[in-house]
Amino acid sequence: MTVASDTNGGEIRQLRPGLWETVNERYPGSMITKSDFVPLATLSVPLNEARVTFVSTAGIQPRGTMPFDTVHPVGDYSFRRVPSSSRPDDLEIHQLKYPTFGAERDLNVIFPIERLRELVSEKVIGELTPDFFSFIGYNMDPERLERTLAEDIADAVCEQRPDLALLSPA
Amino acid sequence: MSLQYLKDADAVGDREKLIRYVRLHFGDGNEDAGRHEIDKAWIEALKPLLDVPPTDREFILATLAEKDHATLAHLFFHLHFYFVQKSGEWIHDGRV
Repeated sequence: MTVASDTNGGEIRQLRPGLWETVNERYPGSMITKSDFVPLATLSVPLNEARVTFVSTAGIQPRGTMPFDTVHPVGDYSFRRVPSSSRPDDLEIHQLKYPTFGAERDLNVIFPIERLRELVSEKVIGELTPDFFSFIGYNMDPERLERTLAEDIADAVCEQRPDLALLSPA
Repeated sequence: MSLQYLKDADAVGDREKLIRYVRLHFGDGNEDAGRHEIDKAWIEALKPLLDVPPTDREFILATLAEKDHATLAHLFFHLHFYFVQKSGEWIHDGRV
């Protein structure tokens, strides 16, 4: 287990430090290797005042928008904005690489859009950003992923000024 | 496998690395399943032609003549999944 200190001197533990090596064995060169330890950011406002956004690799998108390119052999490096006010019926899933059986019955199991709205109404969190963000996880060019998709999403997220971003792999 | 890994394989003509990548993609990480999926798509492409129905060859020839190489390659991958879906035997967890 990798251990580092945060800015307050607290101990931060990196869980599953062998994960990258395991993935690299199966898909050589597919992982982005970072030698720098990136500490978790600390929340700067109380949770019940925090503006929250959600970023997911679940391949969720508003119905009628261009489907994610699930067939391309090297992946799709675009993302979709998903209005946080969307009803699950307004949304659909386009991806090939994770079981969607449960998500087709209740989208919240993979993209908890209604649960997060409930947390706002219960004043557990402050508010939601106007949009959430989604892309597909099958992206086999890590340099392009980092240079384009990650940067594009980061810019789009920052424009909506969240205090807290939930990042969820599918 | 990274893009550079595949480009390096292409540069030295390592066809096995390239086709293994395709099989892994079609088989969702299972090379044997991917090999089966490739066969399945070709069988589904063959079946509608056995009775020699009329086909839109003008569309086909115009598409091949007018579209760029990358678009045609992308279409080829689309057609693979299209015919796999037509087979009724869908091994993937999600959908295109």
